Amino acid sequence: MKNLYLPELVTIEDITNEAPDVVTFRLVFKDEALKESFEFKTGQFGLYSALGLGESTFCIASPDTRKGYIECTFRKSGRVTGALAAMSVGDTMGFRGPYGNAFPIEDWKGKNLVFIAGGIGLPPVRSVIWSCLDKREDFGDITIVYGSRAVADLVYKEELAHWEERDDINLVQTVDPGGETPEWKGKVGFVPTIVKETAPKADNTIAVICGPPIMIKFTLSALEELGFSDEAVYTTLENKMKCGVGKCGRCNVGDIYVCKEGPVYTAAEVKLMYNDF
Amino acid sequence: MAKKILKRSDLTKLVASVGKAGGAFVAPKAVANGLVEYVFIKKADEIEFDYIVPGKSFKEANFPQTEVVARFKNDPEGVTVEGVELNPPRVVIFGARPCDAKSSESLNSVFTWDFIDEFYTKREDAMVTITVACTTGDNACFCTSVGIKPDDTDGSDLLLRETEGGDFTVEAVTDKGKAFIKEEKAVFTEGKATPKERTIFEPRKLDVDLEKIGEYLKDTDHYEGDLWADMARKCIGCGSCTYACPTCHCFDITDEGGFSETERRKNWDSCQFDFFTLHASGHNPRDRQYKRWRNRFMCKFNIYPGKFKTKGCVGCGRCVRVCPVRLDITEVMEEISGA
Ligand code: SF4
Ligand code: SF4
Ligand code: FES
Repeated sequence: MKNLYLPELVTIEDITNEAPDVVTFRLVFKDEALKESFEFKTGQFGLYSALGLGESTFCIASPDTRKGYIECTFRKSGRVTGALAAMSVGDTMGFRGPYGNAFPIEDWKGKNLVFIAGGIGLPPVRSVIWSCLDKREDFGDITIVYGSRAVADLVYKEELAHWEERDDINLVQTVDPGGETPEWKGKVGFVPTIVKETAPKADNTIAVICGPPIMIKFTLSALEELGFSDEAVYTTLENKMKCGVGKCGRCNVGDIYVCKEGPVYTAAEVKLMYNDF
Repeated sequence: MAKKILKRSDLTKLVASVGKAGGAFVAPKAVANGLVEYVFIKKADEIEFDYIVPGKSFKEANFPQTEVVARFKNDPEGVTVEGVELNPPRVVIFGARPCDAKSSESLNSVFTWDFIDEFYTKREDAMVTITVACTTGDNACFCTSVGIKPDDTDGSDLLLRETEGGDFTVEAVTDKGKAFIKEEKAVFTEGKATPKERTIFEPRKLDVDLEKIGEYLKDTDHYEGDLWADMARKCIGCGSCTYACPTCHCFDITDEGGFSETERRKNWDSCQFDFFTLHASGHNPRDRQYKRWRNRFMCKFNIYPGKFKTKGCVGCGRCVRVCPVRLDITEVMEEISGA
């Protein structure tokens, strides 16, 4: 019998401490055949279980161009994420997925890309960034604006350093006023302000944003001022999920089931939604 | 041709015969003073015939309130995961009402759009729904206002009508129903003439217009405004309405047990609870009770008919009967129909 709720077993191959209470797991399917055949598209999510304690929903944070493993980055905040965070390399956990729709990066060929993320909003964007970087020649200019409350809260610090060095990426890092340290070389200011300051050109450009609702709201208006059309701006929605497959009834925003029809939407689509966020 | 008859006195035989073939028999039973529920019965004399609709619908037969979907074992050798293999026996639902029978289509539409939840479909496939048309009702019944008749056949395998003498005339609706009659031919008899059937109940007709309600809900601007807060002010978020509702499909997935041995379960849940949509970050998109109530109304009159193309409300009246604060959904339906 096909069991929608049965997780696959995965082994934790690597753990990276990203920021206080934020970790990244690299996961490999125990089943050899599945390890080979597993595919997903950037933007999709999964349900990760601490077997015996429950499931949590996170995006797949690794790019869809890298095979043989998946990564997830999460903040320790509750029972399940707490139990997951307490695990070690070599431990076994559960995974169901991939679920949901994806960023249509095939349609973005030849375009410039602007990635904007705040805090723990970077993981889904990071999946898209690497998926695009792995096909770098398909795209024009790539700009990344990433900010967090404080320097310590920035995730993927090693990758940020790598992106900083590459001359085919314009990386702008910022922290909220008061979050800087004496050594901080990046900007100080809120993400929407820094986006305006960076002023990526809207012409032939796609923007991808993810972060706290308030950041998204003000970044959307900043992009609008810069001339971005709502159709050229993509985001990924977060909502409480239990099943991931359109059954349990809790992820809906008005009439939209985020787990099935999302989580990726254009700003134009988001603007048409019910005020149920 | 005269209709086939199921004699009340033959129900003993029917219950026994279904049981002998390994099946289960679900029927209304008076479980407490004034409370009738669908339960598994062993003998026909447990069946209650004097009821409007049982407290809960028979959806527990295809969507149990709690069910194990997987088991985990954690021991020094490692973790093992085992999915539950469902092989449900035949379940005969006797004494369904047309509203509840119709609601199976609704549940089916959710559990089968794209992904198929076999925990639902396998149980539904094993079910034979024998509906008894309503000859009694109360002021909470409003099926005719949502497009269902008290003797509708939709969703039933057999439709029975009570005769003046207390027996039942039989109408086979589906192939499954026809096959069931063949299998149990000893109790489905044929007389010379169809006995006189009792008059079908006529529920009160509400002043509602489902299309108008649908149109109203399509306008996202109507999600704002004071209407919802005003209408749902009384609601205490107890969730009774959703547990009693035959079309409510929402559930939680939880791991229960100790760390070494655990069951993963699907448990009924309700959009009326504040935890239902609470994010890990602390943000809750439905942070006020009226927003949760608004979601329920939206689910019934927009999401079900719009997305799933089935009925969100079958007019059984249960939510009206159980609500501890008498928040009557039909009043909101009427208000919006007149808006
Ligand atoms: S969302 Fe609410 S009203 Fe709709 S099916 Fe779920 S519990 Fe019932
Ligand atoms: S039964 Fe009444 S009080 Fe309870 S959640 Fe439903 S509407 Fe609110
Ligand atoms: S997560 Fe269960 S319906 Fe979307």
